[in-house]
Amino acid sequence: MMGAIRAELVKLRRSLSWAVVLFLPLMAVVTGVVNTLVSGQPPGDGWHTLWMRIVVFYGLFPLAAGVAVLASLVWRVEHRGGNWNALMGRVTSSLDIVVAKTTVTAALAAALQAVLVVGVIVAGKLVFDLPGLLPPRYLAVSVVIVVACLPLAALQSGLSMLMRSFAAPVAVALAGATVGTLLLLTRVEAPSLLLPYGLVSRATQVGTGAFADDGSVALPALGVLVAVALALTVALVAGAAVLLDRRDVR
Amino acid sequence: MTGRVVVAEFAKMRRLRTLPVLAVMVVGVVAFSSLTFTAPGFLDAVDDPDARPWQWLLGGPALAVALISPLLLAIVAGRQIDIEHQGNGWFLSQTSGVTAGGLCRAKFVATGSLVAGATLAQSALVAALGWAVGISVDFPTGQWLGHTASVLVINLVLLALHILLSARVPNQLVSLGVGVLGTFVALTGTGLPPWIGHLLPPWSYYGLAIPVDLTEVGVVDLDPHHPSVIVLGVVGGAVFLALTRLFDRQEAR
Repeated sequence: MMGAIRAELVKLRRSLSWAVVLFLPLMAVVTGVVNTLVSGQPPGDGWHTLWMRIVVFYGLFPLAAGVAVLASLVWRVEHRGGNWNALMGRVTSSLDIVVAKTTVTAALAAALQAVLVVGVIVAGKLVFDLPGLLPPRYLAVSVVIVVACLPLAALQSGLSMLMRSFAAPVAVALAGATVGTLLLLTRVEAPSLLLPYGLVSRATQVGTGAFADDGSVALPALGVLVAVALALTVALVAGAAVLLDRRDVR
Repeated sequence: MTGRVVVAEFAKMRRLRTLPVLAVMVVGVVAFSSLTFTAPGFLDAVDDPDARPWQWLLGGPALAVALISPLLLAIVAGRQIDIEHQGNGWFLSQTSGVTAGGLCRAKFVATGSLVAGATLAQSALVAALGWAVGISVDFPTGQWLGHTASVLVINLVLLALHILLSARVPNQLVSLGVGVLGTFVALTGTGLPPWIGHLLPPWSYYGLAIPVDLTEVGVVDLDPHHPSVIVLGVVGGAVFLALTRLFDRQEAR
């Protein structure tokens, strides 16, 4: 298993994944900062306002699109040249490959969140001169967002495994994010949590008071999100491994 | 010859699921616009001329297109171009007498006609839903069509840009990455002063085309920058033609 993960990291070494990891969250930060400056309304509630203005929109569409692009990038190499046939003739099990691809995609998603948090802190200190540092509750929320990205990474990895096209899984992600956002906007919360796109959007809203969120960061609510995320991840990884097992050379 | 190349592009689309991708765009814009119907007081104001329900409703697609179009247009263009990179289609076309630039122009005509249809459809569907919920005040034809035409021009310029980008850079990550970043620019552009909005074409032009603003005192008319959008269309078209001519002179690859 570790060998498969190491192999995936080697494949990523010369890819442009770093550009997505760096630019996507920074663009979210820049957008939030510019909108705040242009509106002339400083973040009245300090870090809370800044976090809300940056992270809520980021969680509606861009995060899903970013994870989808990263998953396409992770699988891209297998769809090129004769690599698919090499994959079919491997000794590594389908489950190991799917887990390794999902792990690497999820690790990149975690890096996205880390860059976002650093970006929010830098913007808060340098642009708005906010007191202290980002409150720990948002670090806890960030951990939940990273966990909520697991089923998204598993789903997008599975889609990128099935689709040769780089862009097609991203289109699916955008459609899924649209459905997830509409479910959250119309307060249909339970089904939205079972959809990885809705789950990740909901996780980014924790503590903000946006949409269906009550503004608190309560352990039971976080526990539900984490439990749903882990259960979905197991189901999606198992499903993808079964599908990969039934694939053949082409 | 040109007509047959365009027809061939439509044939290539059959397995590319271009129509479902565009359907996502139409459904997404219509769905987000429909959220206006759930706004407090909207359904009570459908026959109140002072509440200006049509302009209220128009605020929905004005934001939704900026949210949804940039990335989906990047996907439509990227998929139509990527097949040539994957299947060595550039070389095949050039040996068949169709230059790389000519192929890009044919792809623009084929995908552009569908994008135009999708843009008109989403606008018409939002209007139809407005009538369906019972808006009975006069339809602001000029304002609505003006916005639809502006979005059409911006969509086509964006499509042309992504066709060029996808053709030039085989790694589709670049085109899609630009699409994702463009979504941020488009949304930021909806809140920027017009002079800044002119600086980041074509994405920020979605903001320039917005005809109404929803404020605490009600729906306020804005002065959409239609002339700027026309200039964008003319300049975008000229740049697309110039660059595809440049592609024509490149060695077969």
